[in-house]
Amino acid sequence: MKTRDLLQRRLNRRKLLKTSARLAIGSTLAVSLAAPPIVRAAGGKVIIGAFVDGGLTPFKQKIIPLAKSEAGFDIEFLEDEYGVTLEKWFADAQNNAGQYDMYLLDDPWVPQFGAADVLEDLGAGGIDASDPDWIASLIAMGYWPPRQGPRVKGFESADSKLVALPFVGDLQTLTYRNDVYTDGPPATWDDLIAKGKEGVAAGKIKYPIVFRGVSGNPIVTSWYPIFLSFGGQFFDDKWNVAFNSDAGKKAADYFVGTLKQNAPPGVVEFDSDQEGAAILGGDAGAIIQYSGNALKADDPKQTKVAGKLDFGVVPKQEKAIAQIGIFIASVPKSAPNKANTIEFLKWYVSPATQAKLAEAGSIPVRRSAFAVPKPGNRLIPVALKQLDSGAEPRPRTPDWAKVEELLGIELNKALQAGSGGAEALDAAAGKVTSYLKDAGYYK
Amino acid sequence: MSARDRWLSRERLQGAGLDAALPYLLLAPSILVTLIVLVYPLWDGIRASTQFYRYGKALRDVGLENYARLWDDPQFLNSLWVTLRFVTASVAIETVLGLALALFCLHEFRGIKLLRTVLIVPMVITPVVVAIVFRLIYASDAGMLTAFSEALGGGPVQILGEPTRAFVGLVALDVWEWTPLMFLIMLAGLQSLPVEPFEAARVDGAGPWRVFIDHTLPMLRPVIAIAIVLRTIDAFGTFDQVFVLTRGGPGEATRLLSVLGYDTAFKFQQTGYAAALFLTMGLIILALALAAVRMLRRAGES
Repeated sequence: MKTRDLLQRRLNRRKLLKTSARLAIGSTLAVSLAAPPIVRAAGGKVIIGAFVDGGLTPFKQKIIPLAKSEAGFDIEFLEDEYGVTLEKWFADAQNNAGQYDMYLLDDPWVPQFGAADVLEDLGAGGIDASDPDWIASLIAMGYWPPRQGPRVKGFESADSKLVALPFVGDLQTLTYRNDVYTDGPPATWDDLIAKGKEGVAAGKIKYPIVFRGVSGNPIVTSWYPIFLSFGGQFFDDKWNVAFNSDAGKKAADYFVGTLKQNAPPGVVEFDSDQEGAAILGGDAGAIIQYSGNALKADDPKQTKVAGKLDFGVVPKQEKAIAQIGIFIASVPKSAPNKANTIEFLKWYVSPATQAKLAEAGSIPVRRSAFAVPKPGNRLIPVALKQLDSGAEPRPRTPDWAKVEELLGIELNKALQAGSGGAEALDAAAGKVTSYLKDAGYYK
Repeated sequence: MSARDRWLSRERLQGAGLDAALPYLLLAPSILVTLIVLVYPLWDGIRASTQFYRYGKALRDVGLENYARLWDDPQFLNSLWVTLRFVTASVAIETVLGLALALFCLHEFRGIKLLRTVLIVPMVITPVVVAIVFRLIYASDAGMLTAFSEALGGGPVQILGEPTRAFVGLVALDVWEWTPLMFLIMLAGLQSLPVEPFEAARVDGAGPWRVFIDHTLPMLRPVIAIAIVLRTIDAFGTFDQVFVLTRGGPGEATRLLSVLGYDTAFKFQQTGYAAALFLTMGLIILALALAAVRMLRRAGES
């Protein structure tokens, strides 16, 4: 009997284990089979990822509702802070997570996404990029590898594909106080400083200029138009560093010396929020900036100097040339509502919708839209003037973020010291060359 | 052997096998989870650290090259130095302040319970929120320190734009947030000490300072060591505060290893190099922890 009991017990335990295993497997299967399949949004749904920026306000306020009422698109607009979007979206695209239908990229990120081959070919999707109504310099930014200029290793002979589409035009322009610069926008940097000092002496402003000094992207973005206007060139056509040329060094010395002396004392730590506060709060006489804060210039709720801010082409040393930095739309291969998104883009970039975008106050990406009788913002015609006067995108390399970081650190150190811009460029040139060499740019 | 005997024998053997396997079967789910969430990521990290990545893809195996490159990389060496200085300064100040506060709060007086509660509030606030608040205090254009200085007739106070001050500002933030943890551990340690040696010392006429040096400190040494080990490991991984407060600037003055690793992995997409960086960082922390444990053991033996 004892043996039988023992056997019985063992058998029961075995049965128990077997039953448990069967139950576990069975219930898992049952749950997975019974669970509804992942429902991909249907109809006109489009999930757009964007970073927070004032330049997108007209799109959010006017165009999203229009997309619903006029074309039946149901837009879900997901915003994040600028500093986290690149890594978040790249992970989404690379892992095929399918959380977004469209990313509104900052244009220097196009090469990174393009080289990783995670974006849809929008040309193959039926978007016509050959229409002469496109602003040539803007549509060129959507191609990977770039159609003009040097190409990085591995993409020398690859076919250029349209992987991103200009979405909201943006570029640096001058915003200035019309009660300080009474004769219109200052033509040169020296004029800007001289007149600004008069404004300070008259008690109208506290500082002639304000800019961003935080290391990395902010300081390089602020320095870039000065660098370009002094005649600087970033790389040659073989990716050799060229920014530490004489012109570049003069621009750097001018930036960390003269401009710092005429900017708020804490400019080394200034990012876009502080520079925006300085110009909109009435402390600064002038600023080179993108449209985000410029769009607030006439709103008394957002500025203490409404009516006193005007826009102009950036000052020149040799040329009046600015940096282009547009919002550019791309569709990840993992987009859950790809067809909707392509249709939305076709609708959105049509001359008719772009005209409405201009009327809403954003810089359009089609030349015809600049001709609307009543642009929603005084900045829009100035932006076209700047585009025609001269505007350049940043170099089209997937390593731009690292290059900007290395240069930004050195410029920031020189800005702290208030001198040594030329030496900072030499130091940065050495680091950038070493980095690009390791990355296989040179034979 | 009859058929029934053969059946019984087989069942007996199967039963015995089942008995032997049962512990492993019961452990299997937790082992599986450990493998998935701990061992696989670690193995994958080690594997990634031996690869050369471009554009988010592993292109070729480079062996230990990424590890070797670290020691020639001025950015890594700078961040290692900044991190070591940050950890040393923060943990040292937090230890001294935590012990002082614990000694003070050991006394029973009116309001002491409220004071003990208030003292631990900083460590329960989300680090990102603390960093935002400190940014609002330090900002040279509209920060509280500048407002205070200007109210007294001074000029803007610049903390985040000057390397040394930014570093001190970061340490101050960490001290404000994490001294309460040290205080809590020390207070628990002090409350667990036996009272007899202290009474005997007082009877022998020893003053408070003598009692502290000869009795409190030696008896509290293991607790202090544990607190230092825990805080050191935690401080090495500090990320949120510096990410929000300075992003590593000005220049590279506050660029801790965690921030450099984050940028390398996610902003510059050098996954292999970042993996080597983080694994090296992990080994440094492990070495420090082992050294501290050895120190603890010696303290226990003495």
